[in-house]
Amino acid sequence: MAKIGVFVCHCGENIAAKVDCTKLVAAMEGHPGVAIAHEYKYFCSEPGQESIKKAVTEHGLTGVIVAACSPRMHEATFRTACAEAGLNPYLCEIANIREQCSWVHNDGEQATQKAIEITRSLVEKVKRNNELQPIEVPVTKRALVIGGGIAGIQAALDIANAGGEVVLVEREASLGGHMAQLSETFPTLDCSQCIMTPRMVEAARHPKIKLLTYSEIEKVEGYIGNFNVTIRQKARYVDMNLCTGCGECILKCPAKKITGEFDCGLANRTAIYTPFAQAVPNKPVIDSDNCIYFKNGKCKACQRICPTGAINFEMEDELVELEIGAIVVATGFQVQNTALYGEYGYGRYPDVLTGLQFERLASASGPTGGKIQRPSDGKEPETVVFIQCAGSRDPSKGIAYCSKICCMYTAKHAMLYAHKNHDGNTRIFYMDIRAAGKGYDEFTRRAIEEDGAGYVRGRVSKLWEENGKLMVRGADTLLGRPVEVAADMVVLATAMVPQPDSKELGKTLGIGYDEYGFFNEAHLKLRPVETATAGIFLAGTCQSPKDIPDSVAQASACASKVLALFSREKLEREPIIATNNEATCSGCWGCVLACPYNAIEKKDLTDRAGNLIRRVASVNAGLCQGCGTCVTFCRSNSIDLAGFTEKQIFAAVMGL
Amino acid sequence: MSIQQQYRSRAKELLQDGSVKMVIGYGEGTTATRRRPIFITNPDDTDRLVLDAACKTNLAGYLLREGLLADQKSVAIFLSPSGVRTINILASESQLSSAQVVVLGFQIQGDTVKALEGTKASDFSPLIAKRKEKRKAQPSHEMTRKLEQMTPAERFAFWEGEFSRCIKCYACRAACPMCWCRRCVVDNNQPQWVNTSSHTLGNLEWNLVRAFHLAGRCVECGNCSEACPVNIPLHLLNRRMTEEVLTAFDHYPGADEHQEPVLASFRKDDPETFIL
Repeated sequence: MAKIGVFVCHCGENIAAKVDCTKLVAAMEGHPGVAIAHEYKYFCSEPGQESIKKAVTEHGLTGVIVAACSPRMHEATFRTACAEAGLNPYLCEIANIREQCSWVHNDGEQATQKAIEITRSLVEKVKRNNELQPIEVPVTKRALVIGGGIAGIQAALDIANAGGEVVLVEREASLGGHMAQLSETFPTLDCSQCIMTPRMVEAARHPKIKLLTYSEIEKVEGYIGNFNVTIRQKARYVDMNLCTGCGECILKCPAKKITGEFDCGLANRTAIYTPFAQAVPNKPVIDSDNCIYFKNGKCKACQRICPTGAINFEMEDELVELEIGAIVVATGFQVQNTALYGEYGYGRYPDVLTGLQFERLASASGPTGGKIQRPSDGKEPETVVFIQCAGSRDPSKGIAYCSKICCMYTAKHAMLYAHKNHDGNTRIFYMDIRAAGKGYDEFTRRAIEEDGAGYVRGRVSKLWEENGKLMVRGADTLLGRPVEVAADMVVLATAMVPQPDSKELGKTLGIGYDEYGFFNEAHLKLRPVETATAGIFLAGTCQSPKDIPDSVAQASACASKVLALFSREKLEREPIIATNNEATCSGCWGCVLACPYNAIEKKDLTDRAGNLIRRVASVNAGLCQGCGTCVTFCRSNSIDLAGFTEKQIFAAVMGL
Repeated sequence: MSIQQQYRSRAKELLQDGSVKMVIGYGEGTTATRRRPIFITNPDDTDRLVLDAACKTNLAGYLLREGLLADQKSVAIFLSPSGVRTINILASESQLSSAQVVVLGFQIQGDTVKALEGTKASDFSPLIAKRKEKRKAQPSHEMTRKLEQMTPAERFAFWEGEFSRCIKCYACRAACPMCWCRRCVVDNNQPQWVNTSSHTLGNLEWNLVRAFHLAGRCVECGNCSEACPVNIPLHLLNRRMTEEVLTAFDHYPGADEHQEPVLASFRKDDPETFIL
């Protein structure tokens, strides 16, 4: 005989303001199988949990329903409480009467009726729940960090310094990411290279970090603690073991007019190249799309000059398979394509630049050695106009979000320019100045007060060339009049967007992403570094626009999550797994195809003499994640899911 | 030589030289326009085979009778193009091996029957590919169009009326070559998802569950409607579903035997129009 306890939580006023909890309790008290029903203001609190535990032992409950918030919030809390009182945790279920009821309805009476139905449905389900035992799985203590920018490097170093093994994968030929491209960094104006390159070297030399540059993730299988990852190491055509990084080949390469990615198109590079002078590893790679030998079959100048014979044109991509316990995704961002803003003339006028291009101009490692010069004629600009929100916060161009870093880097650009061109003028068109962060507001004030940054509140409507000047027309909304500025250079604070293939990677990893392609965290406030897929964590701008301090902080948070995982010998997994009824299975293998985790195998059914009778599907409990995809696919309903069996679901539906 | 004569001698040869153990074909029925399936193992009986414009039933389902193909021997079978597509689907769903099936292909055009070249199911792939394009270009059937123009309430009333005649005899299931489950979902009474008694809700559940189970698998052979003793136009549901998977996923059931099931396979470039 079932003895179910129903505990109705007010959630402060969140539930009680709409749902008549007393009425709900009364309705449940009369329901068959319900032994007790109580209400309380906060069941998740210490006294609330204690009262549930007490009721379990005093009444010998065989099942517990907590009618409260979403199970995503407190299912674990209440199941743990039940376990502490000696009840199998899987005999505790949550009736969600907050997100699915009180929060979304206005009519109190109807909301109460719905809460009764939701709770009743779960009571019917829990009557058919079985005691389940967690499954133990081993943990591979090796982390994979995807992306070798500052976030990836930080996460890798933190994990490695604590003794964990790390595989750091970077798809470009060198570590560094966007931070390596920056000149100085706000709000302290320390040189980006000076703080970044030592980290790159540290990561590359660390005995616990295996570095795979020029590599991409090909395939990810498995689950937390037990991922199988296939990594494609792209052919560099340069043998890393033989190459000494002398650079003779780069000097000799005749294909010299290839647009350099690292300098954002402001300088050219050769076909065999290192992305930048401080690259790690500091060994070149051949860009086969632009190499004369790969295009015409003739040249091999680099091969002839190489003193160690490191050039190998026959090299092919290699696939590396690794066992991985946890994955940190730190794939970073891209700058939005400014061609969207025809009115700002990017691409048409060489002196209209993106913020990242300006970084290269201002950087001591950049094409001008840090002199701010116009790309068109090499002259020092006398007036520079900065246009903020050139892409961000503009739903009409497809991006509603704030890119977060542009207010700060524009102030920094104005400052850097003022420091290098003492007589120069700056005009910054802005919508708002968002400078929330330690030392940030002080920084923008300093730009205005000490370095004469000329802020104009308003948008730019048009930009054109006239007598060698870039004419910028906009509005000064504070003065309520139009403004026209004759500029020598215009810098667009372009939006931060996800990597163009981030959705692809999301699908490969099995993690969610938003409409833009930024990866989704498990909970924006309470689980900001976890993804909904256990064992995969997010660091840096692949999740949302962030500055360096935030990226680094999140990377360290990821490392702590990974290390917490690695601190355990075994993992306990939810026993929510599928089982197949071999008597009714017809062996169509639809489930095998449908299973995203390759958890279903083909099994031979034989007679006593060993002759094959039939082949049926069989679920590998270690691989099954309990997603239920196979259950929905099986036309004969031969597959059932523990914790969500057909009988339980049917009873829950009929209880409505 | 008439096509009937031609196929009779072909069947005889196949049985005589031992390349097949049985020929499944059509024989005389109870009336002049009805044909019934016959199963011939003796070469001398092949004169009983009939092939004319009345041979409409899709015979492919008989290949799945338990044990028939278990001895790895081959069986020859009279099949129209939709029958060949059925073989492809059954092979892709691992219910038979197409290597064991010798196809005696034919096509009915009005009152005449045309022979189709080929003996293996894969021989007909170019023909099936052509039919796919034709199906894509084909305007909706008159009745399908009429149903689509109805309001949801009118459409519901229409099907409610049609299904009210259903007596749950499951003849549609027995006739359908795709209904090969060892245990049908409606025969599972723990829990009893689909009500067994014949009333509006249960009838609706049964017929819609069957339509969904055929999504991306139905070859529109018409066996279900033919079998229905109370003349429910079941093919209309399946026809609608076929158009749906064809436009949404470019999936034409039974195109070849390596086709992946439409509801269990996933393409990374899927437009995912159904996700809000």
